[in-house]
Amino acid sequence: MIESETTYKVRDSENTKHVSFKPTKEFHTNDYSNRYIQTGSLPQKHVTNIENSVEGYPKLQKLFQEKEKQVSQYASTPFGCKVDIDEMVPTLNRWIQRDNLSFDVVMVGCLTDNQFIYPLLTQLPLDKLVSKPGFLFIWASSQKINELSKLLNNEIWAKKFRRSEELVFVPIDKESPFYPGLDQDDSTLLEKMQWHCWMCITGTVRRSTDGHLIHCNVDTDLQIETQNTRNGAVPSHLYKVAENFSTATRRLHIIPARTGWETPVRLRPGWVIMSPDVMLDNFSPNRYKNEISNIGTNIPLKNEIEALRPKSPIQKAV
Amino acid sequence: MTHNSTMNLPLVQFLMENDAELLKVPLSGHLRDIYSIYLIQMENNHIEPPTHEQLISFEEFVNDLKFISEVAPGSLSFKRENPLLSQVDELLEYIDVFPLKTLYELYTKRQESSNDQVQQNSNKKKEQVGNTSTLERLINILDFEKSMTTVHSSNNQQHKILSNQLNKILETEPASYELARQRAKEITPVIEYISTCRDHQHSSILASTVYIVNNKIVSMQWSKLSKYEIENPQFMACLKSKIHYVPNLKPQTDLTLGDCSYLDTCHKLGSCRYLHYLQYIPEFLTDEVTRETHAKNIKIKSESLKIPFYTHGNCSSLVIKEQAPPQWIRCDVRKFDFNIIGKFSVVIADPAWNIHMNLPYGTCNDIELLQLPLNHLQDEGILFLWVTGRAIELGKESLANWGYKVINELSWIKTNQLGRTIVTGRTGHWLNHSKEHLLLGVKGDPQWINKHIDIDLIVSTTRETSRKPDELYGIIERLVGPHARKLEIFGRDHNIRPGWLTIGNQLSGTCIHEMDVKRKYDKFIASNKNPNKWHKKDMNGIKSGNQKKFQSQISTF
Ligand SMILES: [Zn+2]
Ligand SMILES: [Zn+2]
Repeated sequence: MIESETTYKVRDSENTKHVSFKPTKEFHTNDYSNRYIQTGSLPQKHVTNIENSVEGYPKLQKLFQEKEKQVSQYASTPFGCKVDIDEMVPTLNRWIQRDNLSFDVVMVGCLTDNQFIYPLLTQLPLDKLVSKPGFLFIWASSQKINELSKLLNNEIWAKKFRRSEELVFVPIDKESPFYPGLDQDDSTLLEKMQWHCWMCITGTVRRSTDGHLIHCNVDTDLQIETQNTRNGAVPSHLYKVAENFSTATRRLHIIPARTGWETPVRLRPGWVIMSPDVMLDNFSPNRYKNEISNIGTNIPLKNEIEALRPKSPIQKAV
Repeated sequence: MTHNSTMNLPLVQFLMENDAELLKVPLSGHLRDIYSIYLIQMENNHIEPPTHEQLISFEEFVNDLKFISEVAPGSLSFKRENPLLSQVDELLEYIDVFPLKTLYELYTKRQESSNDQVQQNSNKKKEQVGNTSTLERLINILDFEKSMTTVHSSNNQQHKILSNQLNKILETEPASYELARQRAKEITPVIEYISTCRDHQHSSILASTVYIVNNKIVSMQWSKLSKYEIENPQFMACLKSKIHYVPNLKPQTDLTLGDCSYLDTCHKLGSCRYLHYLQYIPEFLTDEVTRETHAKNIKIKSESLKIPFYTHGNCSSLVIKEQAPPQWIRCDVRKFDFNIIGKFSVVIADPAWNIHMNLPYGTCNDIELLQLPLNHLQDEGILFLWVTGRAIELGKESLANWGYKVINELSWIKTNQLGRTIVTGRTGHWLNHSKEHLLLGVKGDPQWINKHIDIDLIVSTTRETSRKPDELYGIIERLVGPHARKLEIFGRDHNIRPGWLTIGNQLSGTCIHEMDVKRKYDKFIASNKNPNKWHKKDMNGIKSGNQKKFQSQISTF
C-alpha cells in the first residue's frame, strides 16, 4: 500500500502553516441522542434523505415519478364530504345501502389525539364499506393504536382485517403542526415524536402474483415530515403510501375529528375525504360512481413501472 | 352624576356581552374568576389597547361593579357565598342586560357628542371594515391566531379566550421535565460529535482530488484543493470541520446505477458496479474533537461534584459513587431461575422472535417467550422489549401478561453509512422497513423515573444483524440514573457494560460481582442435575479467542 504523508500537507490559506489532511482511520459515528441532550437538536433532523427519500437511487426515483404520474392520470375528482362526526356513520351507511358504494382503500384518522375512531370502527359495517381485497389504514397516536389493539385483535376483527404493517410518521421538530405535544401524555416516559398507523389487509392478496392490485416494497413504513407539508391537517405522505401500495382508484379518507380552522382539511385528487372541517362539500355518490366507471377500479399495469418496481424473486414451479 | 370619571364603560360592555357565560359553570358568578377573564379580555383587546385605568385591581373592579349596579338599579345582583366572609367573596347572581344597555348607550352618546375624536376614529374603523375584500375577510377567518386576539362583539368570544387559555395550560409541561433535562445536560458525559457536510459539490470535488488504494484514501492532490478553494471559499473550512463522504470510484463503477444499497457493508466491493463511499475526516479534526470532548467531560465531572439541588430520581452521591462493574451470566434463558438475580429498575429484552427463522443464532420460540417468568424481575420499573413486525402484538400481549402497561413505543430509525434511512432491499413483507420498535412497559407506579428527558426516537446506523443501537443505554441512564440495577436478557458480548447484568446463551462465560447473586447462582448450578448439558452444546459457538479473554472471569466452568 502506498503511504506518502507529505502529500496530505496542504498550505493553509489563512495562516500559511502546513496542515496535514491525513484521514482518520477509524469510522466515526455520531450519537444523536447524546447530541440532543447537549444541544436540543432533534435526532430526526440528522436524517439526510428527508426531502428526497430515494436520493441516490435513480431507479427508485424514476419509479416514484412514474407512479405519481399514473396515479394522477387515473384519479377521480377531489371530493369532500363535510359532515359532523355524529352524522358520519349514518352517511356511510346510506352510501353502502342506498348507493351501493364501497372503497378499496379506506383511511381512518389523522395526526391528532382527539379522534373518535373507536366509536366509528365499532358502529360501522366496515366489511361492507371496504371491498375485498381492500386496505385499511388507521392513523392515530401510538397510545390510541394500543387501545384499539383490543378491538382489532378480537377474533371477528382479526379474521376480517389482517394486521399487516405498522407505519410511523415523524414530525421534524416541536414547531411542527404535527408535533404531538403533551396532550394526553401525563404518564409517558419519553416525549412523543411520532404517529402510528395500523395497516390492515382484507381479502386475499399475494405479493408475488397480484402485481395488478398491489405494489410491494415501493414505500417504507417510516415517513418523516418534509418542508412543504405544513399547510393542512393531513400531510401528503399519508395519502402517498396508500397510493403507492394499492392500484385501486376508489379511496376514502374518514377523519373523525375536529381539526380546527388553523389546519384545514384539503382535498386530494383520487380521494373522497369525509371530515367536519373539509374545505369543500362536493360529493355526490352518483357522480362518483360515474367517474369510477370511466376511470376503472384499478390503475392498469404499465411496462415502465413493472420493470422498475421491486418484485419477489420468481419462484419456479416445482 | 358626580361619579362620571369612574364609570367603567368597557366593564359594562363586557357584562352585556357575556352575561350568560359569566353566570354559568365554571365561572358561576365568582367575582375573582370574572375579574381574571375581564383582565384577559382587556389584554387581548388589540383594537383598543388597554389604558392604564382599565387595568384595575380586584378591589377597584368590585367597586366598579357596585357603582354600575348603583347607577343602573337592578342590573346586577350579588349574593354572599358565605355570610361570615367579607364582601370580596360575593357572587354575581344575576345580570340584567337591559338596564346595562340603557346605561351604556347613555354614556356613549354623551361621550360621542363631547368628543369628536372618538367619533372620527370609530368612523374610520367602520370604513376599514367595509373596504376589506371578500378574500381578505375569508383569510382573516382562517387566521386562527388573529381571531383569537381580535375581540368581536359576538357572544362566543369567551369560549375562544377560554380555549386559548386551556390550550396554553395543556401545553405547559411540568417543571420536573425541564429540571430533569437541565440536569441531564449538566451531568451527561459528552460523546464525540462531528457534523456531516451535506454539500454534494464538496463530495464531487473530493472525488477528483483523492487517491484511493485498497478502498482507503491514501493521499490528496493539494494543488487541486487550493484551486477549488478559490472557486468555493467555504470548501476548506468545511473540509476541516465536517465529515465528508467521498465517492470511491472504481473501474467497474457505473454512475448511472446510483448508490449501492449496502454501501460500506457491501461484500462485493471488487465487482459491485454501484457507487460506494469512503468516510473522510482529517485526523487532526478527530484529535481535536477527542481533546475537546475529554476536556468537557473532565469539567462536567468536576463541576457535578457539587451536590445538585435537584436530586429527584438519582442518588445524591451521583458522581462519587462508582457504577457496578459489568456482570454477565451465560445461560439458557428459557431454563434459567430468575429468582437468582433479584430485582431490577430496568430490564431490556431483545428476543430473537421466531419470525426471522434464518438468523445466525438460536431463536426463541414465541410461546416459550410468553412463558418466561419475567414477572419476577421487577416490583416496579420499566421493561424495554424489542419487537419486529408481526411480533409487535405478541410483545404487547407478553408485557400485559407480565404485569406491565405499554406506556411508550420508541422507534429506531435505521440509517446507513450516509445517514439516509433504509429504503431499498425488500426489507419488509408489504412495505420496506426503515425502523424497529421498542415497547416500553411500566410496572407499578415508579416515582423515581426522570421523565421526558429524551424523545421516543433513536436515529442510528445499522450494524451487525439484529444488533441494537447503543444510544438506548444513554437514554436509560438518564431515565433511572447510572446506579440503578439494570438487566439485559438475550444479550451478547457487545451488550456487556458497567451498571448492567447481561444474560444470554451466546455470552462468553459468566462473571458475577454481587455476592448474593453469586451465592445463589452457584447453588443453582450445583443443584441442577445436568448443569453442563447446555453449556457443552453452546460452547461450539464460541471463538477460542473470546474464550481465552474471559477465562479468568469464568467462575463456573
Ligand atoms: Zn463540505
Ligand atoms: Zn455494492
